[in-house]
Order: sequence, then C-alpha cells, then structure tokens
Amino acid sequence: MSRKLTSLLLAMLVLAGAMGLRTVVASHSDGAVMMANGGAPVPPPPMFNGGAPVPPPPMANGGAPVPPPPSAQ
Amino acid sequence: MPGSLGYAIWLLATLLEVAVVVCAIRRHCFGRYLCLNLYMVFSLLVSLARYEVLSHFGLRSSQYLYCYYYSDAVLTIFLYLTLITLYLHVFDEMKVEKYVRLAATILLAGTALFSYAVVQQSSQRMVTSFVYELSQNLYFVGLVLTYVLWGAILKLRETRAQLIQIVLSLGVYFSAFAAIFALGNMFPTLQSVTYITPLFGCLLPLAWAYAFWRLAPEARMAPAKLAVVPR
Repeated sequence: MSRKLTSLLLAMLVLAGAMGLRTVVASHSDGAVMMANGGAPVPPPPMFNGGAPVPPPPMANGGAPVPPPPSAQ
Repeated sequence: MPGSLGYAIWLLATLLEVAVVVCAIRRHCFGRYLCLNLYMVFSLLVSLARYEVLSHFGLRSSQYLYCYYYSDAVLTIFLYLTLITLYLHVFDEMKVEKYVRLAATILLAGTALFSYAVVQQSSQRMVTSFVYELSQNLYFVGLVLTYVLWGAILKLRETRAQLIQIVLSLGVYFSAFAAIFALGNMFPTLQSVTYITPLFGCLLPLAWAYAFWRLAPEARMAPAKLAVVPR
C-alpha cells in the first residue's frame, strides 16, 4: 500500500514540477512552445491561426448559433 | 511553403528514423526497445502523411494545422511511453514494474486533466486546443522525467552503455528544445530558429541510430574506479 502511495506521490510531484515549469516559461512568452517530433515544418499554433475556419464545437446539439461563454460577458 | 533547406532537413530526419529501425533490427534490439522503435515507425508514417497534406493544402492551411498538431500529440504520447519503458529497463532489477506503470498512468491522466482544465473555458475549438495543450504539457512532463531518470541512472550506477546513450540523447533532445525556446524568446525576430527547430528534430534519431549501430546491447561502461590502473 505504501509503495502505491509513493508512486502516486512521485507522479504528482513530477506533474506539479512540470506544470510549474510550463507556467513559468509561458508567463514570459506568448505561450507557444517550440517542439517538434520529426523534421516537418511547424505550422502556427491553433489558437493563433485567426484565418482558419472554426470547426463546430464537439458537444453541439442542434444547429443554433453558439453564444459566447458566460465569462466573456 | 518551406524552402529547399526545410525539405532537406525533413528528408534527413525521415531517413534517420528509418536508420534507427534498420539498425535496431540488424542489432536484434527491436524487441528490447519495442516502444522506442514503434515511435520511430509511427514518426516515419506521420512524416509521409504530413508531406501528403502539406503538398496538397500548404503550410498555413487548416488541414495541415490539424494534421500536424493531432499527429504531434499522438507522437508525444508515444515518446512518453518510450520514456516509461526506459524507466522499466533501468528499474528492472528492483521488481517495481507495477508501480512504475501505476505512476505513469496517473501522470498521463493527471496531465490530460490539467490540459482539459486549462482549455475547457477557452474556446469553441476545445478538442484542437486540448490536443495542442496536452502535447505541450507532455513535453514538459517528459523533460522533468528525463532528468529524474538520469538522476536514477547515476544513483543506481547503471552501466549498460546503450541504455545510457539512449537516455542521454533524450536529455539532450529535450534540453535543445528548451534552449531554442529561450533563444526564440530573447530574439523574436531570429529567422534561423525556423530551421533550427526541425534540425534538432533530427538529433534524437541520429543519436539512437548511433546507439544501436555502434554499441552492443550488452556492452557495459567500465566504472571509473575499476578502469584506473594503479602504478
């Protein structure tokens, strides 16, 4: 049991460390981290691609226009 | 569209991925590092798919954007699994496979939950944003995990040369991207970063191909204390 708890603790520690590092790094930039699997040219990140058509939201029921989220008002 | 240099780097990276798999098969290491080799095979297939989409729709098309980031998320998950199998190799004598797998599953689930929490109220394109966020967060998790693994290798006095070479090259790979990111922040107008990023994408398959080709699977590094011959 203690070994399982240790595994859980280590996983949470690594997660906290990694996300903390990510937050620190992203706070000094536009949030886009450069990385690449393979040598393919990197397109602009999804949230900065203003011209791309917006696909429908995954949970859309029906065809009514989607209102802005409550937090935007 | 990328220039001829961009295409040349991409071709080089793809050839190096093929070289990793060929060297692993020739050295009878394919099964030993199965996840690593599957990552290389999948990366090769993804490169072909990306080329097909890029040549049809262009670099700034939404098709290439979706193809790139969705495949990148899958590749990053493969890389994460590769890293976990390296943990299993390092800790195989301690009989803690069950706990390593448990911690890896919790970590992956935690990263996915964190990514979901970040994007859930951000935009309508939630799935795309989630995929992008998960990929980026897994990159940082991989970065931390690699350094932890290197610490464990030092602590446990691991001597398998091939395993050490593979882990060290992963560390260099992640560190190189961190350095590029820092450079990009310091000099936002630096154009050469465009080519440096995919160029560093060649580093990992190059180092792994070298590890499989030059180092025997059971080759051991002589500890410094044993290597010193008293006069």
